[in-house]
Amino acid sequence: MEKKKTYVEDIERTLYDIRNEDRSSYKVEQGLTEQIIRDIAAKKHDPQWMLDFRLGSLQEYYRQSLPEWGPDLSELNMDQIVTYVQPDAKMAGRWEDVPEDIKDTFDRLGIPEAEQTSLAGVGAQYDSEVVYHSIQEDLVKQGVIYTDMETALREHEAIVREHFMQLVPPKDHKFAALHGAVWSGGSFVYVPEGVKVEIPLQSYFRLNAAGAGQFEHTLIILEKNSSLHFIEGCSAPKYNVTNLHAGCVELFVGEGARLRYSTIENWSRNMMNLNTKRAIVEKNGIIEWVSGSFGSHVSMLYPCSVLHGENARCEFTGVTFASKGQNLDTGASVIHAAPYTSANISTRTISKSGGQATYRSAVKVTEKAHHAKCSVNCESLMLDDISRSDTLPAMDIQGDEADIGHEATIGRISDEAVFYLMSRGISEDEAKAMIVRGFVEPIAKELPLEYAVEMNNLVNIELEGAMG
Amino acid sequence: MAEKIFSKIPMATWRWLGVNNATAEEELLAVADTRSFKIPAGTDKEAVVVIRQEQYGKIQVKLGENSRLKLTYVQLADTDKDYAGEIEIQLSDGAQLEMAAVEAGGKKAVSKVLVNLAGNSSRADVSVLYLGDKQRVLDMNYVMVQSGKKCEAKLEVYGALLDKAEKIFRGTLDFKRGAKGAAGQEKEQVVVLSSQVRNRSVPLMLSGESEVDGHHAVSIGKIDEAKLYYLMSRGLEMAEAKKLVVEAAFAPVMSRITDTELQGELQHYIKERLSDA
Repeated sequence: MEKKKTYVEDIERTLYDIRNEDRSSYKVEQGLTEQIIRDIAAKKHDPQWMLDFRLGSLQEYYRQSLPEWGPDLSELNMDQIVTYVQPDAKMAGRWEDVPEDIKDTFDRLGIPEAEQTSLAGVGAQYDSEVVYHSIQEDLVKQGVIYTDMETALREHEAIVREHFMQLVPPKDHKFAALHGAVWSGGSFVYVPEGVKVEIPLQSYFRLNAAGAGQFEHTLIILEKNSSLHFIEGCSAPKYNVTNLHAGCVELFVGEGARLRYSTIENWSRNMMNLNTKRAIVEKNGIIEWVSGSFGSHVSMLYPCSVLHGENARCEFTGVTFASKGQNLDTGASVIHAAPYTSANISTRTISKSGGQATYRSAVKVTEKAHHAKCSVNCESLMLDDISRSDTLPAMDIQGDEADIGHEATIGRISDEAVFYLMSRGISEDEAKAMIVRGFVEPIAKELPLEYAVEMNNLVNIELEGAMG
Repeated sequence: MAEKIFSKIPMATWRWLGVNNATAEEELLAVADTRSFKIPAGTDKEAVVVIRQEQYGKIQVKLGENSRLKLTYVQLADTDKDYAGEIEIQLSDGAQLEMAAVEAGGKKAVSKVLVNLAGNSSRADVSVLYLGDKQRVLDMNYVMVQSGKKCEAKLEVYGALLDKAEKIFRGTLDFKRGAKGAAGQEKEQVVVLSSQVRNRSVPLMLSGESEVDGHHAVSIGKIDEAKLYYLMSRGLEMAEAKKLVVEAAFAPVMSRITDTELQGELQHYIKERLSDA
């Protein structure tokens, strides 16, 4: 049995675990100093304001302490993290121009194939820099901009300056400050008024270098009555040293606009994933988050939606699967800051083999947000006795016109359900797997097909590990 | 006046919500009025504790095997003074607790209640009523620790908030590893009667054991307009109708108070507070 467990995990994870030789053209030294920040800024030809922003963020990083809640982060030693690794590749507009070993990695992950079949644009980041970016010509003609952040900073500096780290200011927390100091790469999307991007755009982030950090910045701006589906994928090979991901996502959803932001996160088990995602939604706008957290050693991820305009809406659908050696602390927060705003948060968490899954949420209704409505539903499934599952929701409601509901359950796979399926000729393991797949189905159905398949594969890998 | 931490939630969360700790003035916490009692194995007991003058009260109870306690705790502390209350109850195998708690007094009232279901097949059924009005602050931290096999915990909370009241209710179901077959339920229903109220709820559910069945639910909303409309169609004034709806919301807890004199006093007290709002 043990053999099968090892076999399945080894074979199936190969896709994500393949390491390329570190052929970076430039790396900063390990650690975090003012000189390192200046080196990164110089390498990226930052304008003066951005250098000043980085240096201010560094001071904020020094000022802030580690969070007093959530997973233990004491193993993270910034003195051993390389914050900037420039791959030996220039940004390309054609896959053919991407260096062979990097191209092979993305080929294996299915990115070029997805681009041909189901995406309107693709961005691929390798370590600290974006190595490939493309967008369909008809979208360019409609004024859609989809490019890497460095190009955006050069070519659309005013827009970037107006929005960059305004939603997630460096003073927000220690890792937002770190991000502000060392950010590199990421995607910039601008969708003009009235433009509906029917086919998704996707950015994929791959961290190859051992002991490195990835700090990509994603900035998406949707003007009035526009729409977009943006997909984010991330993975890394496994090393024996700690890697760090402290990205930042800022989403500006204009009046009547609709943004769907889907993520399947499958970082390696040596990764600390301390990512910050936030959206601000104007009148009648909609933000939809679809979030799958499967990888990393430690995750702290709680996308936040600020419902700023009247009748703004948020839908959050998330699944977290914590296995051996993983402490995945995930959830969502919503701030109702305008009348008639509404939110619906639905999550599933699964823990097994000693994994720790924590669901954390916050719902804040301000005085202005009369007639706000929010429904939170969290279901947790524990597959064995050595795992943990914790649920920590909080609600802070001002005023008397809000309608807030929260429900959570925790439990195990029902023996009766397994028995019933077995009585229909299904093996015990398959019966349990079917129940788990049914449990995550509300999330899977929200994902694009390829991602739903990937999520099911990930669930299968984990279940083989649990039951094999 | 210096404040110190009076209670903490079992697992901390974001600081910006301000719900991790309850604080009280150091001076208030200097001397506690402590009541301790044990319920011998196999016996039944009924106890009523009414807080009126104390400013810091502690109750410690140990329930022996297969004993039963029906505890009524009514906190009607002086509404011009702060109050801190602590209750710690430990249940042995087969012990049963039925508790009705009323949290209504105090200018700023902080309370922490720990029910430890250490015994196998122990049961705790706790119903809480809270009422906040004027500029009062109610800060409650109820923790049900479930470590016995097949233990059952039920925490039901009914509240009403008026005027500029501020309230935090933290309710935790904590399933410890080994609590196989344990079941826990938590429910909070709040009726809000003023646009200036601040209402925070933190229903935690922690589990280190897979063989458990845990549920929690919170419902926060304004008073049911259909009910109001119906009552007003029967000739009641708006204020009267509201009072009646709140009283009805409190009925599940009030019905547990078997001391009819105390129940009458409490009904009168709540009515007066609602009238003053």
